[in-house]
Amino acid sequence: MSSALRRYIVVRILLTIPMLLILVSLVFVVLRVLPGDPALAILREGASDEQLASFRAALGLDQPLHIQYLNFISGVVRFDFGESMTRSIPVIDEIKTFFPATMELAIAGMFITTVVGIFSGAFAAQHRKKASDYIIRILSIILYSLPIFWLGLMLQMSFGAGLGWLPVSGRLSPGMTPEQTITGMYTIDAILTGNWPLFKDAITHLIMPAITLGLVLAGIFTRLTRANMLDVLEQDFITAGRARGLKERVLVYKHGLRNAFIPIVTLLGLQFALLLAGAILTETTFSWPGMGRLVIDRIYDRDFTTVQGAILFFALMVAGASLIVDILYGFLDPRIRY
Amino acid sequence: MTDTTQNPIQALPADLENIGILQRLWRGRIWYGTEWYITVFGGLILAVMITMTIFAPLIAPYDPNDFVGAPFTAPGKGQQALLARAGQSPITDTADLTDVVIGVQRNRNGGNLAKELGAKGKRYQTEDELLAGLTSGEVDLIFVNQDLVPELLAAHPDFEIVAEKMGHRFALGTDNLGRDIVSRLIWGARTVLQVALSSALFSSVIGIALGLISGFVSGALDRVVSLIMDSIYSFPGLLLAIAMVTMLGPGLFNVAIAVSVIYVPTFFRVVRGQVLSIKEELYVEAARSLGAKPITILSKYIFPNVIPSVVVVFSLNVADAILTEAGLSFVGLGLPPDIPDWGYDLSKGHSFLVAGHWWMITFPGIMITLVAVGFSLLGEGLSEILNPRLVKN
Repeated sequence: MSSALRRYIVVRILLTIPMLLILVSLVFVVLRVLPGDPALAILREGASDEQLASFRAALGLDQPLHIQYLNFISGVVRFDFGESMTRSIPVIDEIKTFFPATMELAIAGMFITTVVGIFSGAFAAQHRKKASDYIIRILSIILYSLPIFWLGLMLQMSFGAGLGWLPVSGRLSPGMTPEQTITGMYTIDAILTGNWPLFKDAITHLIMPAITLGLVLAGIFTRLTRANMLDVLEQDFITAGRARGLKERVLVYKHGLRNAFIPIVTLLGLQFALLLAGAILTETTFSWPGMGRLVIDRIYDRDFTTVQGAILFFALMVAGASLIVDILYGFLDPRIRY
Repeated sequence: MTDTTQNPIQALPADLENIGILQRLWRGRIWYGTEWYITVFGGLILAVMITMTIFAPLIAPYDPNDFVGAPFTAPGKGQQALLARAGQSPITDTADLTDVVIGVQRNRNGGNLAKELGAKGKRYQTEDELLAGLTSGEVDLIFVNQDLVPELLAAHPDFEIVAEKMGHRFALGTDNLGRDIVSRLIWGARTVLQVALSSALFSSVIGIALGLISGFVSGALDRVVSLIMDSIYSFPGLLLAIAMVTMLGPGLFNVAIAVSVIYVPTFFRVVRGQVLSIKEELYVEAARSLGAKPITILSKYIFPNVIPSVVVVFSLNVADAILTEAGLSFVGLGLPPDIPDWGYDLSKGHSFLVAGHWWMITFPGIMITLVAVGFSLLGEGLSEILNPRLVKN
């Protein structure tokens, strides 16, 4: 690793700090400062004054805002999100149980998005202004206008309940349990332990949620790839390649795609928020026990600390993803240095 | 191209002066080709939706919250029977129907029963619960699908048929409480457009103002505002809306506010970017050297040039806001249950998916997709027509 690259990475890590601070403050503002009393929001109308007061005291909500803010930040820095109000375990332990499911879903979804998006985008760019280009573009508009949970419902209805090819919901069939937890992602754990029946079960449960999440994002991805490919295909080296008699297919998929890849990776980072939002809905549709499910179920359980901790963890994930993408960017493109 | 008189585009400017605005729009297809058709197609979908929204009370066959038929009536079906306990039938005349408890519905005045639905709806979510209600005497009458009647009479010898075939046909069936799906779809359009349009309006006002000021003033203020906007943008929008709705509580206005927060950064980014480039233009320079005040430059020279991009972003954001609103309702955090809403209907239908009541989850989803596609197509088409430079981004 060159010293310039190392410098770039260090600067990126330092730049993540203000972003993280703002994200955490954003969560603080929404949960504590904006109109809407957490105690009332969680306990609902009809809670007695004593209940409300003890709730506020337990969470430190009775303290002045700046003290609350400092406590909030110091909690995040120490990865201490407090204790769950419905289950007497630390919130971070809850997150550890639910996070791998979201990770597994997100990775599988991203895989489908990338494969579908890049190929259809490159194909559309190659056939610019032809019928196939317009068809792909309109399909991608429809794809990203689809409510993600509805696509999930339709898949559940047809391939799950109707044809019975795939399980309708959940991560594993009843009775199946992983022998040991390594990553918490069942498919990967199953490969690591060589447990093939478990792998088969986990992957059949993963297919529909991953396709749901992947396809909706693929609509956006196709668009981005197409736009970037159009830029690249107009450049001189493509014309030069064409003049040298390279095949169009080689030009587009080898030389073109490779050069369009850097902006695509950056855009991939920007889509991370969409991926997480999509994951929340996909998890709800498929009863997938991930972070989104955790937030929504605990809102119903009136477990404020867990909700707050999970939302904060989402902020950490966003900041982490943007850092990873930036570092990847540095590796991919030697021109990017400080 | 030697013979230019044959080129329709060349011939256009000559008679453009003499034709009306509709004619001009129609002629636009020659200039813009496919983009024009995409825009018009999107616009047509929206025109239908908006008409539906405005005339919902006239078009919808029933009140969307009334239990007008048997639960789970399949699309196109409608023949139903009214069952009561034998010998206890409280009605002798159909006019008495307004005085008895039908299904979950205490139909005293025959009017809108939304409030009572909120309180009682939970108790009779399924047909079994309804039957139990009839057996125990809590309910006087229930609607059932005709084909279930023999089976039910065999299982419950104490029931009798009061009236048959009294139900209307339901084009798209009824939901688990016997509400007409067509009517709910029509009224749902009103809800979704209200939320999406008002949230896009809120966020555009705030986003445009911030973008104009931030881009124009630049310096430290610009950096701080941009950083905050980028952070909001990088946060999963739906989660932000979920957190806000949880804190603010359910309701049309609160949902609109929660959704609008997500889209402020998109307006901000586009407007700020445009301002940064426009303020370097020669005509702005000229205005400044002639002594125009900053506020004049901003409002007279910069703002009008930002409008085309804002229109495009607005349309695309409405499409996205529709999906976010539906998503909020789908996870059960959006609107109170007495407001007809597609996302809410989908989440209800979700529970009956395995039972095979496909119509409950199919039609609301198609509606959401149609409206979102309409706004997306309109935005996409307009972006190429209004601002060809924007397309590549």
